[in-house]
Amino acid sequence: MTIVRDRVATTLHALPGKRRINPILVVVVAGAIIVALTYTLPAFRTYQLATVGAYFCVTAGLTVLTGLNGQLSLGHGALMATGAYTLALWQNKFNMLIPGVIVAILVTTAVGAIIGLAAARLRGPYLAGLTLAVAVVVPSISSTFDGTFNSDQGLPVALNPPPESILVEQWQAWVCWIAALVTVLALAYLTRGRFGRDMRAVRDDETAAKLAGISVARTQVLAFVVSAACAGLGGALFAVLSQSVSPGAFPLTLSLFLLMAIVIGGLGRLVGALIGALLLVALPAIAQEIGQSAGSQRLEGNLALTFFGVVLVVVMIAAPGGLTSIRLRRTKTTRTRNELKQKGR
Amino acid sequence: MSTPDQGLALHHLTVRFGGLLALDDVSLRVTPGRVVGIIGPNGAGKTTLFNVVCGFVGAQAGSMTLDGRPFRARPHHLVRHGIARTLQGVGQFNGLSVLENVLAGVRSGRKPEQQAAAALERCGIAEHARQMPATLPYAVRKRVELARALVSKPRILMLDEPAGGLDTDEIRWLETLIREADTTVMLVEHHMDLVMSVCDEILVLDFGKPIAFGPPDTIRNDPKVTDAYLGAAA
Ligand SMILES: Nc1ncnc2c1ncn2[C@@H]1O[C@H](COP(=O)(O)OP(=O)(O)OP(=O)(O)O)[C@@H](O)[C@H]1O
Ligand SMILES: [Mg+2]
Repeated sequence: MTIVRDRVATTLHALPGKRRINPILVVVVAGAIIVALTYTLPAFRTYQLATVGAYFCVTAGLTVLTGLNGQLSLGHGALMATGAYTLALWQNKFNMLIPGVIVAILVTTAVGAIIGLAAARLRGPYLAGLTLAVAVVVPSISSTFDGTFNSDQGLPVALNPPPESILVEQWQAWVCWIAALVTVLALAYLTRGRFGRDMRAVRDDETAAKLAGISVARTQVLAFVVSAACAGLGGALFAVLSQSVSPGAFPLTLSLFLLMAIVIGGLGRLVGALIGALLLVALPAIAQEIGQSAGSQRLEGNLALTFFGVVLVVVMIAAPGGLTSIRLRRTKTTRTRNELKQKGR
Repeated sequence: MSTPDQGLALHHLTVRFGGLLALDDVSLRVTPGRVVGIIGPNGAGKTTLFNVVCGFVGAQAGSMTLDGRPFRARPHHLVRHGIARTLQGVGQFNGLSVLENVLAGVRSGRKPEQQAAAALERCGIAEHARQMPATLPYAVRKRVELARALVSKPRILMLDEPAGGLDTDEIRWLETLIREADTTVMLVEHHMDLVMSVCDEILVLDFGKPIAFGPPDTIRNDPKVTDAYLGAAA
């Protein structure tokens, strides 16, 4: 937890509350860019774009939990699995995507609430340990209840084909990015008001937060719930993307990658979560290409982890506040320079 | 004006940390509108007394009443009871701007921004509203914490060593603030000049035991008190 706090402390100046860009404007512009991209990119790139959108839901929620509220979670991969399996079971029974996604979010939210309640009583390494246990236990449930979850083979996901005028990849990208942009918009509004302030206050000093009238436990549970909902949504999208779910898709390393991604991107910032989501797609893809050209699958798996590790170390040395802090630092100095100019100094 | 029941009263509080007796049968009545000092050598139990009132520490024996009714608040409900407290040193939200730090303390009423701005103004730090506390001098940060306590318009303001680390001018400012505050104040402080000048009555603790209680003049001349401090110094 001190690690998280130190990380956060270095990004303090970059935290929301100063430069206020209208989130709706950002979302509209982003939506337009995404649509344009889905008509220009080749199918495989469009699929990758869709994957970025799905990851973005998860990283955005995780960065709120870890960056703004200071709670470390190694269990978000498992929460994604919860969302994914819920959607798979729902689709195979009812085949109605939108209600299915909502149900997936609700179920994951409920699981998140239970973990959150326990998590609110734990700090630092104990919290990490709890969420780690979740990450380990949840996938193993699928092999315990063979009949429902079909063990390691996993489940197919029934989906209606998209309208004929568009490609599957296009449709996937739209679905994922509508979800991602709605998520980010909701989080942007949620975190800029009182709730966001309370979360950060709890992260910074629990005793002072209590004395200010903030219920620390309630804030922490809520943060976990919000973050779990996002992970559930992301997981459901992954089920849509791969049209199947299996425990192998949500290994422990996924949870680690998620965490590393938001730290590299810049903790506590939605832009950082976006960068993280891009890395989550790009780094394994690069690893895959190298692995394929070397003809080794084992190399591929290890390379992705290595890449993340190396990028993390390099970024932490060069820009301890994550990649978003680099840009911000520059705008900040130009701003102070302008202020000085205005004052005639 | 106030009936004897009004305000906060502590009855025979005893707190033990393992074998250590941090508070030993402490009783205190905090009459509304008064400034009550709590002094004593290091480790005497002053902060512990605050912690009991605030619900951070449970007492093994004794009870508390607020306006005659039993009182045992959870820490985050204190503000609702009209009790605000600052922490020894600084308890601050380093990731929040000065303004946000104070806003965090606004729990009721309309226009939180205006309430916060007024509290900043009152503490003379309005100009720092947009800055981050970590970039500011210690004295300013202590004022930020004061502003956060004041913004909830408490009826009882609990200050734990508010003068610690401040220079003479700052202490003089603090003195005025306490004197002009239209609230009850409980003041834990080592700075004797400040305590003697602002307090209406003073409780002296030594090793958790109350050894004297009374107006400043009485306390100043009480040999038990000087003994306790000299004993601690020796
Ligand atoms: N949570 C705790 N657990 C164990 N011991 C504690 C705890 N809190 C305080 N103590 C001990 O209780 C005694 C009283 O501490 P307290 O902090 O109340 O003293 P104080 O009068 O505020 O001292 P100072 O002037 O140094 O702030 C000390 O010996 C301290 O070590
Ligand atoms: Mg103390």
